[in-house]
Amino acid sequence: MSVQAPDVRERPVRAARAGGRRGGAGLARMRLRDYRASLIVAALSGAFGAALVIGTGVMADAITANSLSSKDSVKITVLVVASVFFAIAVYVSAVVTANTVATVIAGRIREIALYRLIGAASSRLRLGIAREGLVVAAIGALLGTAVVFVAGLVIVPALVAGGVLPEATYTVADPLLIAPTAVTIAMGFLSSWAGSQRVGQVTPIQALGVAAADPTRRMSGARRVFAALFLVSGLVALAGGVVLGLTSPLGVLVGLVGGIVSFTGVVMVSPVLMPALLRLTGGLLGRGPVGRIAAANAVRYPERSARSMVGVVIGVTLVTMFAVASSTYVQMMLGIGDEHPEYAAEMDQVLTMTLAIFSGLFGFSALIAAVGLVNNLALGVIQRGPELGLLRTLGFTTRQIRRMIVAESLQMTLASTVFGVLLGIFYGWAGAQATLGAQLGQGLVVPTIPWAVIGTILGLALAVGVLASLAPSRHATRGSAVAALSAD
Amino acid sequence: MTTAPTQTARAARLDSVSKTFGTGAGSVIALDAVSLDIERGRFTAIMGPSGSGKSTLMHILAGLDTPTAGRVWLGDTEIGTLDDVALTLVRRERMGFVFQSFNLVPTLTAWENIVLPFELGGRRISAADREWIEGLCASLGLAERLEHRPHQLSGGQQQRVAIIRALATRPDVIFADEPTGALDSRTSREVLALLADACARFGQTIAMVTHDPVAASYADRILVLADGSIRHDIGRTSAAEVSALMLSLEAAA
Repeated sequence: MSVQAPDVRERPVRAARAGGRRGGAGLARMRLRDYRASLIVAALSGAFGAALVIGTGVMADAITANSLSSKDSVKITVLVVASVFFAIAVYVSAVVTANTVATVIAGRIREIALYRLIGAASSRLRLGIAREGLVVAAIGALLGTAVVFVAGLVIVPALVAGGVLPEATYTVADPLLIAPTAVTIAMGFLSSWAGSQRVGQVTPIQALGVAAADPTRRMSGARRVFAALFLVSGLVALAGGVVLGLTSPLGVLVGLVGGIVSFTGVVMVSPVLMPALLRLTGGLLGRGPVGRIAAANAVRYPERSARSMVGVVIGVTLVTMFAVASSTYVQMMLGIGDEHPEYAAEMDQVLTMTLAIFSGLFGFSALIAAVGLVNNLALGVIQRGPELGLLRTLGFTTRQIRRMIVAESLQMTLASTVFGVLLGIFYGWAGAQATLGAQLGQGLVVPTIPWAVIGTILGLALAVGVLASLAPSRHATRGSAVAALSAD
Repeated sequence: MTTAPTQTARAARLDSVSKTFGTGAGSVIALDAVSLDIERGRFTAIMGPSGSGKSTLMHILAGLDTPTAGRVWLGDTEIGTLDDVALTLVRRERMGFVFQSFNLVPTLTAWENIVLPFELGGRRISAADREWIEGLCASLGLAERLEHRPHQLSGGQQQRVAIIRALATRPDVIFADEPTGALDSRTSREVLALLADACARFGQTIAMVTHDPVAASYADRILVLADGSIRHDIGRTSAAEVSALMLSLEAAA
């Protein structure tokens, strides 16, 4: 730093250079609201990973305290199972984060176009957004890990004192804790990058905002090819996992990769797929102006609808997948129980415990998906200020606007729930088959579908969808129509 | 609820309307005790430099914004005292709007946009209405484009759709806020001629906010605002004279 008074003429240049170095300097001032979901999701993912590491470590310590089996082999087995659950949670977090970033960007096209207009390269802007994602994920992941770590320091001795855990030396400060935190942070960067894909398509002219936006942009050819590639290779891997699962417990790992890759393909084709599904449910909204406009809105803004719907689809798929996998598992075990009645009682106990633990583990990912769902619905409505302002000017009453938003949400939630249930049944069956096929040696089984659970999922998803749209619909009709109309 | 159409000679009226934005030292007086009548069946232009309060004036006339003080009427209905729902119904049934941009609902076709005010009120489109709207569309060369969505239309076509929508319900007043602000000069002239024609042929009352002297020269009456007050109230005038008037205002400032 120079001691002399700075040359006034040089200042703006320096400032500009500093701004340039930071890449998406302008977008760095994205509002806190935009980050909320990413932050919560990273904190949940970090906390979940830390809990899994500490939990498996403590479990291994406890088991080896009472037996002669080697600590390492127990720990490795449990860790493999734990990392499957962590991978699912991280994946869900990544989809939620990418989706949130995409939603925020869709609402900031004018602003991004302005940066492009004054000379910002789109790769710079994207890098800036990805870096912000990194910082947000780092804060969230460290926060989540720290909370769980401190909780572990308190809870483990308490459990030993209470006689729940046997006397042994427990390591809470496991060096492995770094792994989930690092994975969560890297996920924050990568998913923000993936979610900012749209920035590359913004042209500087859009800053002038004269032309009406085309909401029905077609998927680019490259994106179609990628999506098809993901879908096909994912399904092949999934099938490989199922087949491998018949003879080896490693089938689940291959199946996991296949599941993640193929679901990513589903997410990629969602702007094409979702409107088709919405057409099926749109008729349910009635023929009144509110219902008809709601139906048209949902179908004719394919990207916006797809973004809102992916959160619901992933959450419902997860929960259904778990419900189907566990029912199928129970069915397989009962089959064995019938053959070997001497094990029946013991098996019953194991079953109940496994299911309880697994529901907890899956519930966590579903929670992450729910955060994304609620946040996306809210952001989507907030971004539609001018459109809603126009409708109010033309004579939509506040109640009609609210009804329209709730109707849209209902239509989208219904379509995505049904789709999620179908996907979940498929993935659940494949998961159960890949995980347990070898252990139980029953070959391919028919999936067991717990209808009562699926009915509950449907009801819950619709309730969450409607409730999540009520708050933003109230927000949308607050204030004057003129302010909304001119809001950008 | 229906709102009765009016019989008086004025379509809209402001009585000592003031509007202040913000409070304390940072407050801005946008309108300072303005009184005026918008006459029925005439094309009135409201002019003024940026920040003169002309947009605020229109928003208050249209019930889109509330005054800090004073009273507002649409015909015989005092709209300053109406609640949000009643005001919405008045807008739906008795007012039409044309904005500078973002006039059309992007997810609806041109035709759906035009008939939206009917649908909102659950009002059936009578054969006479349909004939009226189709006639307008045909005369404006939009008959072939009614199934298009806004992004498939040019700026001028979008603006014509917005004007047809405003005319469709035959409202008491059409409020136009810089309707040519986003158009090239040739398309601007077409849109202005269309508004003037609607006024002359169908007796449609129109209040247009603009800062463009050429646009104002299409009106029957020109109100010039500066610093929240009406400075001039003149009849039909050429663009050159309006420009001179505006320049003299600038010089006096």
